Amino acid sequence: MAIFSVYVVNKAGGLIYQLDHYAPRADTEKTFSFPLDLVLRPHDERVVVAFGQRDGIRVGHAVLAINGAEVNGRFTADGKDVLEFLGNPANYPVSIRFGRHRLSSNEKLMLASMFHSLFAIGSQLSPEIGSSGIEMLETDTFKLHCFQTLTGIKFMVLADPRQAGIDSLLRKIYEIYSDFALKNPFYSLEMPIRCELFDQNLKLALEVAEKAGPFGPGS
Amino acid sequence: MEPRFTRSKSQALERSLSRGSSRTGSGSAAPPEVTLGAFALLFSELVQYSQSRVFSVAELQARLALLGRQVGLRVLDPLVARERGGRRETKVLPLLLFVKGPLWRSLFGKEADKLEQANDDARTFYVIEREPLVNAFISVPRESSSLNCAAFTAGLLEAVLGASGFPARVTAHWHKGTTLMIKFEEAVMARERGMEGR
Repeated sequence: MAIFSVYVVNKAGGLIYQLDHYAPRADTEKTFSFPLDLVLRPHDERVVVAFGQRDGIRVGHAVLAINGAEVNGRFTADGKDVLEFLGNPANYPVSIRFGRHRLSSNEKLMLASMFHSLFAIGSQLSPEIGSSGIEMLETDTFKLHCFQTLTGIKFMVLADPRQAGIDSLLRKIYEIYSDFALKNPFYSLEMPIRCELFDQNLKLALEVAEKAGPFGPGS
Repeated sequence: MEPRFTRSKSQALERSLSRGSSRTGSGSAAPPEVTLGAFALLFSELVQYSQSRVFSVAELQARLALLGRQVGLRVLDPLVARERGGRRETKVLPLLLFVKGPLWRSLFGKEADKLEQANDDARTFYVIEREPLVNAFISVPRESSSLNCAAFTAGLLEAVLGASGFPARVTAHWHKGTTLMIKFEEAVMARERGMEGR
């Protein structure tokens, strides 16, 4: 039972707060000998698996670390190009860790504004007037819940599909926002939220919601 | 002609804050209560208003203290009339206990946590509060981490002590939560020592 992350998006679609509460790390580390039976290719700033899925290493997984040292984008910790390094038989046997890469903050910003646009499209396509927009997006690994307030702020929570009580959690987050962000004289509206008390209380609320498990928090 | 601030009869504005007084007549005059949210928003605006007119943290604290002083002067009289039947305190310790108890309770709904005297200085006292009400929703940014909005409360307390005949300087510090350091003037302590005989 877990809540993965919380996103807060302002009226214009910009991400003003993001918290990764729990990220299930599905990394696989394996030792390989020359030649590598996976096909790797560069993608954006990373080196990803293009072909040769096996043993938990799937297509799309990125190279996270080589011989224990984390890679820096397309370069190893010492500055060498990853593909060159892996093309050289002298470096083998080598242990490589693959996994889903963590989203960078820029990517999160882009994804949040994309969701904002989809939300707008959703509420306009609705045959009924006064649609509430996208409230839930369900996949087999997570559920995305979204709550839009009267002022246009959207609170999004990504959680385990079995986690209950997310609706009341969203209302609670709205309460925490109106308390510790809006009543803070040092916070300007629509700007990124950098308030300690907001962080603290949000984490507390997430823990309460998680502990309640599949039955939702007690009233 | 009654002075009216609004042209039309606005129900919300004309209604008295204390709902009890209109019903029970002259008997109990319960002090009016305001929701915490309303106070917090008003206080937040107070801080923002002051912040736009100053250039340093010390100035901001001074401004908040000034505003607190205005409140303190006005709060003392009705409180003494209600709680002590019009008799004001004449000794330091009872006055400080009055501050810690009735004054804090009427302002914030709870008593101050601790009242201490400094070990080395008979003139200095501390009123300690772990979580002062005025700071309840305020997260001070790291750039101005020395700012304590309880400077407002410090100004309030300074005015209360001064108007009671015990001039003092009150400052707010980040210590065990928030500590208000009260430093009485020498004349006050001399008078206190003179009164000890009686």
